[in-house]
Amino acid sequence: MIEPVNVALGLAALSAVLSVIATYLAVSDRDLLRALIFSALQSTAYAIIFLVLMAPDIVLVYVPVAVGIYPAVVLALIKRVGRFEGGEGGE
Amino acid sequence: MSEFEASLSLIVLFSLFANTAIALYGVFSKPNLVKKLISMTILSDTANAFAIVIGYRAWPSPEESPVPPVLTNISGGYAAVQELVQKSVDPFPQALVLTAVVIGLAVTIFLASIILHYHRTHGTVEMVVSG
Repeated sequence: MIEPVNVALGLAALSAVLSVIATYLAVSDRDLLRALIFSALQSTAYAIIFLVLMAPDIVLVYVPVAVGIYPAVVLALIKRVGRFEGGEGGE
Repeated sequence: MSEFEASLSLIVLFSLFANTAIALYGVFSKPNLVKKLISMTILSDTANAFAIVIGYRAWPSPEESPVPPVLTNISGGYAAVQELVQKSVDPFPQALVLTAVVIGLAVTIFLASIILHYHRTHGTVEMVVSG
């Protein structure tokens, strides 16, 4: 039988490993739009970690901010300054 | 705490350390300002996650989890508060992180507007080209 403590901590560990992969891809990708999407994926993994670590009030604030507003702001920025890293810039 | 639980907790902790290292690498070595901004938000999120991990508490038994720091039994009196204190996680880091998330959003918007003005003035966001 699998004990509940192992299920909860296993979910947190899985999310943590997913967040490391997403962070690496977000930092290494030269396409800023894909980097932004990987960053939102990392935020989702952190939201699961916060939920497992018994902080539901943090999740209520963190999910709209880190998965909603923050990618929208950076998306508007990327639209103006150009999508690809190392390029000549937008206009 | 069994050995398997300890190793799961260590996976979470070392993943956070790895995220800190990768985000610091992104902030220091990537020339693009937008990439620096993305890396910096990952870094601040990781710092918040560290604070939440510090406030966590070990499970009293394998079946019984710690509870969120919310008093649901209002009419229970002193006994209900005593039970909550013995079973709940630390609310203090959660209060700090709640504030830090909102302040981090404000800082992100501020930096995004600064990067936008830099792009309008210099025509690029690459620090190597403009430096």
